[in-house]
Amino acid sequence: MKHTDSEVKKLKNYHIEMWNLVQEQIDKSFAALKNNDKEAAREVISRERMVNAQELVVDHHCEDFIAMFSPVAIDLRFVISLIKITNNLERIGDFAKGIATFVIEQQSKAIDAKLSEELSLDKMMENARDMLTLAREALIEEDTALCRRVLMMDDLMDDINRNAPQVLGRHIQAHPETAEEMIRLYSLIRRIERIGDRTSNIAEEIVFYVDAKELRHQKKL
Amino acid sequence: MTRKQKTEVAVFWSFRLMAAAVVGILAWILGFLIIKGAGVVSWEFFTEMPSDGMTSGGILSAIVGTLCLTVGSIIFAFPIGVMSGIYTTEYAPNNFVVKFIRVMTNNLSGIPSIIFGLFGMTLFVNTLGFGDSILAGSLTLGLLALPIVIRTTEEALKAIPDMYRNGSRALGATKLQTIRKVILPMAMPNIVTGLILAVGRVSGETAPILFTVAAYFLPSLPTSIFDQVMALPYHLYVLATSGTDLEASRPMAYGTALVLIIIVLIINISATLLRGYFGKKLK
Amino acid sequence: MNIITAKDVNFYYGDFHAIKGVSIEIEKNTVTAFIGPSGCGKSTFLRLINRMNDLIDGSRLTGEITVEGENIYRKGINVDMLRAKVGMVFQKPNPFPKSIFENVAYGLRIAGVRDRVYIEETVENSLRGAALWDEVKDKLKKSAFELSGGQQQRLCIARALAVKPRIILMDEPASALDPLSTSKIEDLIYSLKNDYTIVIVTHNMQQAARVSDKTAFFYLGELIEYDDTRKMFTKPQKEATQNYITGRFG
Repeated sequence: MKHTDSEVKKLKNYHIEMWNLVQEQIDKSFAALKNNDKEAAREVISRERMVNAQELVVDHHCEDFIAMFSPVAIDLRFVISLIKITNNLERIGDFAKGIATFVIEQQSKAIDAKLSEELSLDKMMENARDMLTLAREALIEEDTALCRRVLMMDDLMDDINRNAPQVLGRHIQAHPETAEEMIRLYSLIRRIERIGDRTSNIAEEIVFYVDAKELRHQKKL
Repeated sequence: MTRKQKTEVAVFWSFRLMAAAVVGILAWILGFLIIKGAGVVSWEFFTEMPSDGMTSGGILSAIVGTLCLTVGSIIFAFPIGVMSGIYTTEYAPNNFVVKFIRVMTNNLSGIPSIIFGLFGMTLFVNTLGFGDSILAGSLTLGLLALPIVIRTTEEALKAIPDMYRNGSRALGATKLQTIRKVILPMAMPNIVTGLILAVGRVSGETAPILFTVAAYFLPSLPTSIFDQVMALPYHLYVLATSGTDLEASRPMAYGTALVLIIIVLIINISATLLRGYFGKKLK
Repeated sequence: MNIITAKDVNFYYGDFHAIKGVSIEIEKNTVTAFIGPSGCGKSTFLRLINRMNDLIDGSRLTGEITVEGENIYRKGINVDMLRAKVGMVFQKPNPFPKSIFENVAYGLRIAGVRDRVYIEETVENSLRGAALWDEVKDKLKKSAFELSGGQQQRLCIARALAVKPRIILMDEPASALDPLSTSKIEDLIYSLKNDYTIVIVTHNMQQAARVSDKTAFFYLGELIEYDDTRKMFTKPQKEATQNYITGRFG
């Protein structure tokens, strides 16, 4: 294998490590939210530092790669998109921490099942998780079709988010004493929606990178 | 045609004319010798001794004598010349002494050949007591060839880039190994060419053999290196100036000149061919 | 483990002070790059490691250079043995006017090896080591001059490998080659470090960054900075280094 290729592969591995950490954080924080599990939430918060550390590791290796290999064309796009994806992943990690903080500080009991149903909260979380998984697959497989699917899935997130104020408003009218709780809940939903946005950004970065690859494939024909 | 182009054409044609003139002169000499000398050249001319006061018969003894002297001078000049050349270029420090030696070597090649003849007579014939002999003649001719061999060896060695020496030394080869296995094989074509040109020169010399080996008339072949021999250039001189019957021996003189010049031409052409052969082998 | 150590080395060509107080330690099985502007002494210092500068008249050295713990400038050392241990590859490919096989076998033959089987095996292994075997295995008897420039350079590397050196010094080994051949040589250098210690002089900063573990920056005969290549190319400690590797020199 060419020296540059083995270096690219190494970089990719550090990056995938970052994915593993962030996906785990998201899964745990969602579960904590669903079950009002403060213990799990605390774990998410304490692991946030590992995500940040991993971001530094990947950034550092990207810097080295640029300094030492002066990448051009496909390699350059790869390393640029990698830096951006890593940054987005780190922000997603932050959202996981935000959700965990919500669980610890504001949640007295699990979210009312009927309200959750009306808000499509489960569906939203599941969708966010699927988007992440798909985006990761798109990166590994270098598949732009998967990226397009991720972008489409973000529409559902937006719909749910747009719908939320209406549902929460009705709930507040019926139960005025829950007004504060509902407003906090809305900020939570906004956070989950932002996960979708960030994942969409990642999908776009992957398209940016893979497009150069496709150029290469076309040449072979 | 512009002025510039006209000048161009004029200059080009004058160059062409000069080059043609050189070839023309050679062709003239050759043609002259062939017309005047071809008549006497026959099988017997090569295989028989001169007879009848050198007005008939052949020139066998002179051809053999010249061959002996040429080979003898190579045997002497080649090893000494090549070794000196190797020493001055590869081993000797580039100081005053070596520069002096180099200048002296060049001067040596500028000395008139008659001086070599006198020196050879003094040293080899008299002092060392070799008498008029092939040995004394070969050594004298060898001395004459020596500066040419040294010079061509030096030039041939200098023409080889240092990267080959360094490449060999960097692999742990000694200086001697480097010279033997890399440098000499690369320089050999040029050295051999120089040597053959030197041979071409000595085979036509008269003055150095005049007092050291050449016989006026000796219709027999040498049996040892201490024998006297006839030689083509000297034989030609004798036929042209001091024969018993100059008018009768004139055709013989032209024939001898033709043979001598053909031998020299063959030597030079073989130098060119050998050079090409070595060059190809190296590539 | 350090395989090369230099302590306060000064080197003079006549009156010219070419190397000024250089101390450096080079680890085993690493690639070290010497960089710096022309005339900075990097090539001169490289040639001190196998004593190639001995071939230049009027040169003088103070200080100490050790290879595998042995002071290579002590009296009585066998310089030819040293050069077999510390191989060298030059800027211009310089194969000998011999066959491909004989070029690689050269070092063995001058070392007095006669065992034909051993020579054949070593030639094959060396050519494989230099990533050239597949390209030349059918024409070993052909002249080395028939190879392309890049192949000739790899042949010179194979020639150096055949004498089983510990260290290979490379003096701008790819500067006379086209980009594709250059990249082949670079990959080769990277793979060779498993078995050898390599020191490479290069004008090409990217090359130094790509192939080396450590980088040493020379300027005006002095060793300005010596550190991990990653560090040198991302966070150099000296301003001169920064200016040189960013092309802002002078």
